[in-house]
Amino acid sequence: MAVIYLDNNATTQVAPEVVEAITPYLTGEYFNPSSMYDAARGPADAVSAARRRIAKLLGNARPNEILFTSCATESNNTAVFGTVAANPDRRHVITTSVEHPAIHNVAQDLERRGFDVDFLPVDSEGRLDVTDFVHALRPDTLLVSVMLANNETGVIFPVEEMARITKETDPGIVFHTDATQGVGKLPIDLRGSFQNVDLLSFSGHKLHAPKGIGALYIRRGTPCRPFMLGGHQEDGRRAGTENVAFIVGLARALELAVERHEGDEGRIVAMRDRLQRELENRIPYLQVNGGAAPRLINTLNVACHFIEGEGILFQLSAHGICASSGSACTSGSLEPSHVLRAMKIPFSAIHGSVRFSLSRYNTEAEIDRVIEVFPEIVASLRRLSPYWDTGRDAPTPEALEMLEAPDMPQGHA
Amino acid sequence: MTWNYSKKTTELFMAAVQGKPGTHLGEIEDADGFGEHGSIACGDALRFTFSVDRHPTDPKKDRITDARYLTFGCTSAIAASEALCAIIEEGDFTPIEALKISNQDIIDYLGGLPQAKIHCSVMGAEALEAAIFNWAQKRGVDLADLGIDIRREEQEEGRLVCTCFGLTEPYILRKIEELELRSIPEITNAIKAGGACMSCHHQPGGLQDLLLKVWGKQSTSFTQLPVLPMAREALAQPPQEMSPFKFAKLVEHVVDEYVRPQLAKDGGDIEIVDIKDTVVYGRFLGACSDCAGSSRTLKMMVEQALKDRVDQRIRVVQV
Repeated sequence: MAVIYLDNNATTQVAPEVVEAITPYLTGEYFNPSSMYDAARGPADAVSAARRRIAKLLGNARPNEILFTSCATESNNTAVFGTVAANPDRRHVITTSVEHPAIHNVAQDLERRGFDVDFLPVDSEGRLDVTDFVHALRPDTLLVSVMLANNETGVIFPVEEMARITKETDPGIVFHTDATQGVGKLPIDLRGSFQNVDLLSFSGHKLHAPKGIGALYIRRGTPCRPFMLGGHQEDGRRAGTENVAFIVGLARALELAVERHEGDEGRIVAMRDRLQRELENRIPYLQVNGGAAPRLINTLNVACHFIEGEGILFQLSAHGICASSGSACTSGSLEPSHVLRAMKIPFSAIHGSVRFSLSRYNTEAEIDRVIEVFPEIVASLRRLSPYWDTGRDAPTPEALEMLEAPDMPQGHA
Repeated sequence: MTWNYSKKTTELFMAAVQGKPGTHLGEIEDADGFGEHGSIACGDALRFTFSVDRHPTDPKKDRITDARYLTFGCTSAIAASEALCAIIEEGDFTPIEALKISNQDIIDYLGGLPQAKIHCSVMGAEALEAAIFNWAQKRGVDLADLGIDIRREEQEEGRLVCTCFGLTEPYILRKIEELELRSIPEITNAIKAGGACMSCHHQPGGLQDLLLKVWGKQSTSFTQLPVLPMAREALAQPPQEMSPFKFAKLVEHVVDEYVRPQLAKDGGDIEIVDIKDTVVYGRFLGACSDCAGSSRTLKMMVEQALKDRVDQRIRVVQV
């Protein structure tokens, strides 16, 4: 059975062009770029060329402002712990309540170490209120970390504006953005609209490069202590032998994303919007999470009330369709998505949330297939649900009451 | 985390969602037994109902004729519900006999469940129990008279330990015992407690303390680092009224009087390398040093002698 891959916010297929670009560095050009002999010049040149290309594609940044890491999680850890270590006089950090765990859990760790951390709330559409952010700024604020686009809902945050406010308040506050879901999908101009962003993280495998390569942009002059200690690679800012092949792959993948952006964007958003429209028409009690907010063009997060997402994914998988869910049963923890809880999505819907995330490799026929099978999967699980009256194809009166009650449980403490 | 469900689990789930004949989807109206477990907030909920063939004179001889469920939950929760009804149907049980069906029976019927999904089977067993208590009330059967402990109140009463899933101390204690749970992950897999915010794991009165309460300190002795925690404990409570000098002298005395003669019989000896708080570092010499097999026994012998004659908290670390 052919796989219909609609989980591109989790990871992506490696582009054939990328495979082609990296292959020489997995075979003949295996030399350590730090070595002195002539043979190592190939890999060393490849790393610096990749660095130059990536810097240029992010808005003419300086090549030495790009640091290669192993993944976006490492980039985020470096950004946060590096900034904290370099600013020992300040104790306050601002972030949002919907960050990826690679920031969320790091921020919680800072809290345990005695830092003050503000987690900015979001509204029911997943939007931040810049006013809340302004209220949160303090004289001892050392770091602001706000993601560019949310991985679960695709909601885009006003990072450019928040970075400007930060710098106008106090140039000493470091502004970081986790742009993992944004790079390759949104224009990023580090000399233009992103000029107030000091640190920016992303990874390769969300934009058709392999897993195991990430990058951190560190604006020149930003104090940031190294997180990985060891050799002198990356000018001593990140030790560890360069992952030459994947660095080359990251540059190639970013190049492709920028080249193809115009052509891909319209096609992907048309497929996403059609999928959303058809599912809304066919399924009662379906809500689009973050539907009213500015969103990534490839992401659709729907919540099917009164059923559990794991059973949906299991049946989708039987049809070869790959998607993900914010339900507790799919998260590894027993807790449902902290993003959907921060949006105060009722529990009747959080557990039944499904995320579809598209890429340039999806086709209209694949979307047709999802539109065909998804409504029946939802109906089959609702027939089993104690909260659904199949005869009337509506929630039971008690379930409806629960949904409308103002004190409906809205998330764990 | 991809699925690793057994064939049986997948079959039962797919049969249920496709509404195949022989599945037990639904709710019996005016059921003789009605039980629920879980809630929508917790991510899974099961409503279980059964009807009985009423015995004209003795309600204890009622036979369960039909069992149905409605389940909000994941693949394994739905398969476990289906398994529960199938076990009951195949068994031709009285309700009191059905009370013996445990979550392990459900797991066995399913051909195993992934560790993280064990709580789905527990949910089935809990809803069954609730339904049987409901039947007993309706039919005027006093389960307490049959020697069955009815402990329904404890869910409502008692100190809240896991706030995320609303589970109380008496309930968690009972489950630790009944299901023989020996670690925090086992508790979480079985009844979800501690599976969300995790703040109840190690706080005072939290899950670790409840484990100790049921199983005693011994159950964790293998996972503790051998030296440091003991040394730390010892720091907090120095040997009473005994200076380190006196303590060391006494250790030496006991070793000379009681331990060395024992070891000498086999041509061995012991050297006290250091004493830190109540941790005694010893090195076996002579014949004893070559005897790998008996070194553990020797260590225990030395330790016991010192515990009995100097201080209960002493631990011997072999150097």
